[in-house]
Amino acid sequence: MVESRHGVELRGVSRIYSRGGETVKVFDDVDLKIDAGAFCALMGPSGSGKSTLLNLVGGLDRPDTGDLTVGGVALGGLSEAALASWRAESIGFIFQGFNLIPVLTAIENIELPLLLTNLSKAERREHAMHALELVGMADRAKHRPGQLSGGQEQRVAIARAVATDPGVILADEPTGDLDLESARQVLDLLGRLHSELGKTILMVTHDPRAAQRAERIIHLDKGRIEEPEQGSKGLSGEG
Amino acid sequence: MVPLKLIWRNLIRHKLRAVLTTGSLVVAFFLLCVLRALVVSLDTGVKEASSSRLVVQSAVSLFVDLPVSYQNKIESVDGVEEIMKMSWFGGYFQEPSNMFAQFGVDPDRISTIYPEIEILSGSMEAFMASRSACIIGIETAEKYGWGVGERVPIMGTIYPRSDGTAWNFDVAGIYDSHNASVDDSTLFFHWEYLNQSLESGASTGPPGVGVYTVLISDDADQLRVGGEIDALFENGPQRVQSSPEAEFNAQFVSMVGNVPFFVGAIGTGVLVAILLATLNTMLMAGREQTRDVGVLKALGFGSGATFWMMLSQSFLLCGVGAGGGIMLAIGASDSLRGFLGTTFPGFAVNAEIIQSALTLALVVALFAGLAPAIRARSLRVVEALREEI
Repeated sequence: MVESRHGVELRGVSRIYSRGGETVKVFDDVDLKIDAGAFCALMGPSGSGKSTLLNLVGGLDRPDTGDLTVGGVALGGLSEAALASWRAESIGFIFQGFNLIPVLTAIENIELPLLLTNLSKAERREHAMHALELVGMADRAKHRPGQLSGGQEQRVAIARAVATDPGVILADEPTGDLDLESARQVLDLLGRLHSELGKTILMVTHDPRAAQRAERIIHLDKGRIEEPEQGSKGLSGEG
Repeated sequence: MVPLKLIWRNLIRHKLRAVLTTGSLVVAFFLLCVLRALVVSLDTGVKEASSSRLVVQSAVSLFVDLPVSYQNKIESVDGVEEIMKMSWFGGYFQEPSNMFAQFGVDPDRISTIYPEIEILSGSMEAFMASRSACIIGIETAEKYGWGVGERVPIMGTIYPRSDGTAWNFDVAGIYDSHNASVDDSTLFFHWEYLNQSLESGASTGPPGVGVYTVLISDDADQLRVGGEIDALFENGPQRVQSSPEAEFNAQFVSMVGNVPFFVGAIGTGVLVAILLATLNTMLMAGREQTRDVGVLKALGFGSGATFWMMLSQSFLLCGVGAGGGIMLAIGASDSLRGFLGTTFPGFAVNAEIIQSALTLALVVALFAGLAPAIRARSLRVVEALREEI
């Protein structure tokens, strides 16, 4: 397996939301450490804070208190613009609803994050094509999302997530909208990203079978992280 | 930073809506160009009026004629270089709808009074030589296909012929004017021809002279010369009012009604309508692309990129719509001049009008695109991705 330096560390992280004049504590003083190159599944009931944790790690949201470090970068010290640049370089997102841009073809969707790099047009096309080949979708390069099945869309989304070769992949219920066969293909792909490319993967899922693919399962309930399963690879969680 | 193809494809995401909005912009900018051209054509005669010409009319009304005997008296005023009779004929060709300006003038003086007139075919000598001769502006000549040597029948309304037939004018020259103070659609004929016809009873109508056009010398003061002319006839028999040509032309325009005001009001209405239509389209587009904005931000595109993505769509929409409307107006300019040229001489969609239309397009684009652009900039990724479209 390829070594990776993209670990995740939360120290005393709290996140509070206001909903209808009421404050809701999603996290309260949470500590968590995920080793670089780990494949972690985040499980828990709805509203337990799984997606919030993913958003915090991906720099889409900011904690109210505490320190958050991803790949050695303390996110709290970054401006919005710096955070956006960091996301472009370091994070690949995979969403439950795929979130491909509907007016762009598969390959154009994959080229989007590459626009933020210094690659030439030809190099961008080459990288995007390579990513499509990786997910077995090269023959659908010119198809728009509306012309693809759910499983195919998610494979394109995975290709988009890895196109810039980020160290961390954040997947929010990537198999939630897929049939069994498509879900299996997507999980196989995530497994390959972890085992062959050494990506740090944090995957939110409700599906125990999907979670079994991970080497570590973290349970969240009411903003608290339960003791992870013993014996899992990369185990070093606290809180 | 956001690719142009994404901006363009988002714009045509809903093809029918894109076509309808663009179509309304094309029609609106076409109308704005045409309406502006109408106002400009009315103003041009005033703006380009000569400062060395005075128009002497009855102090009572433009429709009251002046005695012929006034000509010699006005000519004697210090600073007057030339004077010419001008009587509005008010005729039409074949149908009353084919109306254009005709004036009875002194043919031997018109070149001095209006040096901007250039004879393109025929000659001024031929015009002076024959009592029934006339010269016609190029626009009217082209509109009716008239050439030198042809006989043009004009029905008189103010001066109808006693036997009910048309007046016949022989085309001695086709002219082009280098200045908008004389338009290219007028027919000038011999005032003497009109006068003799009235005296012989061959036609009926008010005797006398409509107005005198006076050319003053370069060193003469317009106000003084005008004042002295007015003073000459202070005790009658017919008091006169001398005005600089620009003032007279403005008065003539105002007789049509407050056209600039009405045209301006219609133009403002059209502008407000396209503002609202474009704003509506852009707000809908902004809402539909909320999730895309969230995705772009998640991928690392900055707030500025999403701001410009929305604003660019508005500029593109207005650019295509305004461009189409302007092109249509330019293309239809010649045909419209054929229809409107006699009422609005010098009608043209010129560079100034195009520039105004483009400026308006920028204003509309900015107005319509700013709200969705600001929203796209300020949207938080988490909220944008959660939004139900």
